[in-house]
Amino acid sequence: MDTGELTPQEAARWALRAGLPLSDDRHEAVAATAQHIQSVIATLRELDFGDTAPAAVFVAGHGHADAAVAGQEHVDAAV
Amino acid sequence: MQPFELSLTEAARAVRAGELSPVELTDSVLDRIGAVEERLQAYVTVGAAAARDSAARAEREIAAGRSRGPLHGIPMALKDLIDAEGMPTTASSRVRADHVANGDSAVAARLSAAGAVLLGKTHTHEFAYGLTTPQTNNAWDQGRVAGGSSGGSAVAVAAGEATFALGTDTGGSIRVPAALNGVVGLKPTYGLISRYGVTSLSWSLDHVGPLTRTVEDAALVLDSLVGHDPRDPASLSLAPRGESRGGPSAELWGELSHRDGDLRGLRIGVPRNYYFDRISPEVETAVRQAVERLQGLGAEVVEVEIPLARYIQAIQWGLMVPEATAYHERTLRTVPELYSPDVRLLLEAGELVLAGDYLRAQRARTMMRDAWTAMLGQVDVIAAPAVPTTAVKAGQDTVEWADGTVEAVSDSYVRLAAPANITGVPALTLPVGHDHAGMPIGMQLMGRPLHEATVLRVGHAYELAGADAGRLAPVGA
Repeated sequence: MDTGELTPQEAARWALRAGLPLSDDRHEAVAATAQHIQSVIATLRELDFGDTAPAAVFVAGHGHADAAVAGQEHVDAAV
Repeated sequence: MQPFELSLTEAARAVRAGELSPVELTDSVLDRIGAVEERLQAYVTVGAAAARDSAARAEREIAAGRSRGPLHGIPMALKDLIDAEGMPTTASSRVRADHVANGDSAVAARLSAAGAVLLGKTHTHEFAYGLTTPQTNNAWDQGRVAGGSSGGSAVAVAAGEATFALGTDTGGSIRVPAALNGVVGLKPTYGLISRYGVTSLSWSLDHVGPLTRTVEDAALVLDSLVGHDPRDPASLSLAPRGESRGGPSAELWGELSHRDGDLRGLRIGVPRNYYFDRISPEVETAVRQAVERLQGLGAEVVEVEIPLARYIQAIQWGLMVPEATAYHERTLRTVPELYSPDVRLLLEAGELVLAGDYLRAQRARTMMRDAWTAMLGQVDVIAAPAVPTTAVKAGQDTVEWADGTVEAVSDSYVRLAAPANITGVPALTLPVGHDHAGMPIGMQLMGRPLHEATVLRVGHAYELAGADAGRLAPVGA
């Protein structure tokens, strides 16, 4: 998917919105690199994800992973 | 043979038999460092005095009958992203110039408990964000790249400057330098080894693992590092699967030591797409010959189709780039000038990745993991090249392929490694030959999650069928 050219001015503006002020001499190089990264990542927009959930890790109660849930036996789920 | 030339397995046997003392071994390795380090630049820091003290302590304990196992008294190195109490963790960066670790990482603590002797800290591509480790020179040809980001660890092991080492692998950073320097590298299952106290590049892709001279050595080190750690949010509470008994890896060493290399009953998948696309003919020939050797040992070889291959780089970048930028958020704003130019640029550009794109990468990762699970239901192990080409000359930025395409060297080195980071499956690289210039070629063996024993068994069988496993790089003293 063509997401359009990222100009140095836009790169500077986006970076500032992300909380990273860039000096003038950084704008062009950052824009070119960000454009390249975007062109690679944008391939994922071809996919139909349906109900697929993200793979990010979150485990409720982490730090107590070895504790048995009240009323249940701890199960060693070795695979 | 000098003690520094011994593999970990050989050294452990010699120490156990009373034929070699940890002090002799450590002195030999330190002398080797003195002889070749100026040319190789594998180390950030060498702590010779502390290493000698540690070796002497190991010697006394072993003499008193208090052996801690096969790593007791064995000299090793840690990639300088891995905390060791009281030492700087520089990440090979000026950003960390004043850093001192106030405690051991989980892996340093485990190695210390196993009696291993810490020699020092090895170079990484700055903050592990690169594939060449420009400070360090390849052990086989000092005019070529070490590979990265665990370049120092790979070169130290290849040259006899450490009997084994640890590295980290986010997009091939153990396997790439291991392949380019002719040593063994193991990226274990995601979450199998704790990353507590290890500087992160990308939380959802980072792994810690061993670089060794032989597959058997890798099994020994893995055995000492495995275990649940609630301080690492991705740490698994599951044990790696034993080959036949479902038991822990504690029995792995003995199991490997006594195998005869018989691979009958194992199905080895050879990809028909992706892994043999845009690779050097010499790499392809060496890996296909290695697969034939495995077939000769009784394995059944079948073709497999790598799923979602078109999206591998997009997923890898979509996860790694914003995660790396997030890790460096504070210092990128306070001391950006202290980063090297290539790393600074990637970190800055990472600020512009959208949350929606990151989530797409995470969702695509779910799809890819499921598709790989289905593929690995058909075979026990996948055999493929570790990297598309051998070590390039220092300063070379691109590779041109037979189809006329031009690829950045770093993209090329990540390309065949990334799937195992995204899916979290165990991946081993081992040397399977050399190109016309004498540079090492690596074969990658990938297995089902937590099936390290199967991957190691196949790699070990390959080594047993040859004659040169554990060979050092020819660095003249």
